[in-house]
Amino acid sequence: MLALLLPVGLFALAALALPALIHLARRSEDRRTDFAALRWLSEKPKPRQRLRFDEWPLLLLRLLLLALVALWLARPALRDEADARSWIVAVPGVDIAEARDAASDDAEIRWLAPDFPAADRPAPAAPQPVASLLRELDAQLPAGAALTVLLPERLSGLDGERLRLARQVDWQVAPGAMAAPRRGLPPPPVLAVRHAPDQAASLRYLRAAAVAWQSPDQPLGYSAAGLDAPLPDRRSVLVWLAPGRLPAAVTDWIERGGTALVGADTDLEAADGAGGALAEERVLGRGRLLRLTAPLTPAAMPQLLEPDFPRQLQAVLAVPAAPPSSARAVDVAPLAGGASYPRAARELQPWLALLIAALLFVERWVATRRARRVAP
Amino acid sequence: MAHDLIPPGVRSRLKSLRLTSRRAVGAQGIGAHTSRSRGTGLEFAQYRAYEQGDEPRQIDWKLYARSDKFFVREAERESPLALWILIDASASMAQADGARPGWSRLDAAKALAACLAELAIAQGDRFGLIALHADGLRMVAPGSGPRHRDRLLIELHALSASGGFPDPARLAPLWERIGAQDLVVMLGDFFDEAGVALVERLAAARRETLAVQLLTVEERDFPFEGGHRFRDPETDAELLGDGTALRADFIQRFADARAALQARFDAAGIRHATYVLDEEVDAPLRQLFGRRLA
Repeated sequence: MLALLLPVGLFALAALALPALIHLARRSEDRRTDFAALRWLSEKPKPRQRLRFDEWPLLLLRLLLLALVALWLARPALRDEADARSWIVAVPGVDIAEARDAASDDAEIRWLAPDFPAADRPAPAAPQPVASLLRELDAQLPAGAALTVLLPERLSGLDGERLRLARQVDWQVAPGAMAAPRRGLPPPPVLAVRHAPDQAASLRYLRAAAVAWQSPDQPLGYSAAGLDAPLPDRRSVLVWLAPGRLPAAVTDWIERGGTALVGADTDLEAADGAGGALAEERVLGRGRLLRLTAPLTPAAMPQLLEPDFPRQLQAVLAVPAAPPSSARAVDVAPLAGGASYPRAARELQPWLALLIAALLFVERWVATRRARRVAP
Repeated sequence: MAHDLIPPGVRSRLKSLRLTSRRAVGAQGIGAHTSRSRGTGLEFAQYRAYEQGDEPRQIDWKLYARSDKFFVREAERESPLALWILIDASASMAQADGARPGWSRLDAAKALAACLAELAIAQGDRFGLIALHADGLRMVAPGSGPRHRDRLLIELHALSASGGFPDPARLAPLWERIGAQDLVVMLGDFFDEAGVALVERLAAARRETLAVQLLTVEERDFPFEGGHRFRDPETDAELLGDGTALRADFIQRFADARAALQARFDAAGIRHATYVLDEEVDAPLRQLFGRRLA
């Protein structure tokens, strides 16, 4: 559907009078002509006042050009036709056979997944951010479209914000269950120590912590090497014990998603202050960088000798747990009255500008071609 | 206006033309014009060697007696003909065609006058110019030779058209200067009755009178389209009209007027030609002098 975003621009259509006047002017004006043989001219016929235009094709071209410019000023835009069809979306995992039978013929069942695939296709496997997708769908749908959501009894993929949608949603609980997100304790970190020679005394505490984390049937998640040893893979925690600045290779390793624990004597820019008593944490690229608050000696850090040091260290190194995202579907039925978004229209100005430029070229060509008579 | 009044192509064609007069008589000596009187000129010019074909009586026998050779006495020839070029310099002569604004009737008249002067020089005739201007006559007394032609050209370059046709009272000097039997060529549009009357009186007074009527293409074809405010440059009368609607009637009436004018010229014994501005300049001269009339 074509719409004008700035209809005031159509006032520029008044400029259409200009080329018409230019092409008309020579006609209405009675030109003064010196004519010595005036006495043989008879008096009777008056000049005809019929509207006449010179050079019709050129006039039409110019009128068209100006009309297009006015249209350009009015910022035409193409709005998708608002189809008021009702939508039925099913959270992946819901058994939709029943709903498919119940659905009226003008409605189509789709999966609540990115790009909203049709329900004929297999359900997407990965757990979906249900709340986010519902908001996206609500913003995309035209205002009048009805929305039915089929959910399992237990809904996950929620976030901290209570769902508040622009439309009234038919919130139907259907049989089925979502793929549950994987839960359970994260595996203990694997320490890969790179240390300067004079820091060797500190290694025993780290190794002790690693031994404390070790499950009976797992290999020991600990290794130690000099500073020039190659960096470990990013699933391990790099422990960097050397004074001075971090080498660029280490910084790069962290920025690509690694987690590193560095000694207290490492020079860093100001830290964020997050972390805890043991270490301060900062985000570096996609990775995390933790700096110990004190040297790894019992004198400077009494926690080293306490029995829960491995647990404290694991807590520091562990990735913060995600907030709960699962609830009973009936409890999180969306509230109505959310903000509705005007649907973005596709502006046609650039294409119109191209058309105008092409037309201007043609107009200039017609107006300046050699075979033309003198005149407007 | 171009420096040279005569277009180059025209100048080459002028050589085949000769000024002729039906009234030329041989009373004033030997000239280029048909004459009954024979004989040598009055003033001695030179001796030259005898050539076959010379009349024996032209041989200077006394010189033959002295030198034993035949010599022929040659005398300065005096042309019997004086050519007067009359140019109408009223405002209507300034009219030019819309299609060719730089070529007015007066420009054509100047070119014709220059051509006539060339013709006169080529056959040794004297020629003079009278411009009929509302402020008075501007005259170049008759003379001959290239110097005189330059004098005439200077006068032509300075000439501009304005005002109406001069009063008969102002034309009095014209009668004093133009002698009987002189050749008078009047260049004008002959829309004014006064102009026509002047040539008729000249013809009646035994001046060999020729008339070249200068017309614009617009007067011949009336190519106007749409509304025009036609203005007479001499009387400032105006007429509002539509070109297409006026055309047929105007062409008819104008042709009638021209026919009537030519009948008057014929009745008065005036040789006449019509020049339309899109023709070659020598066309009227060819019409007047192209064939020997005398």
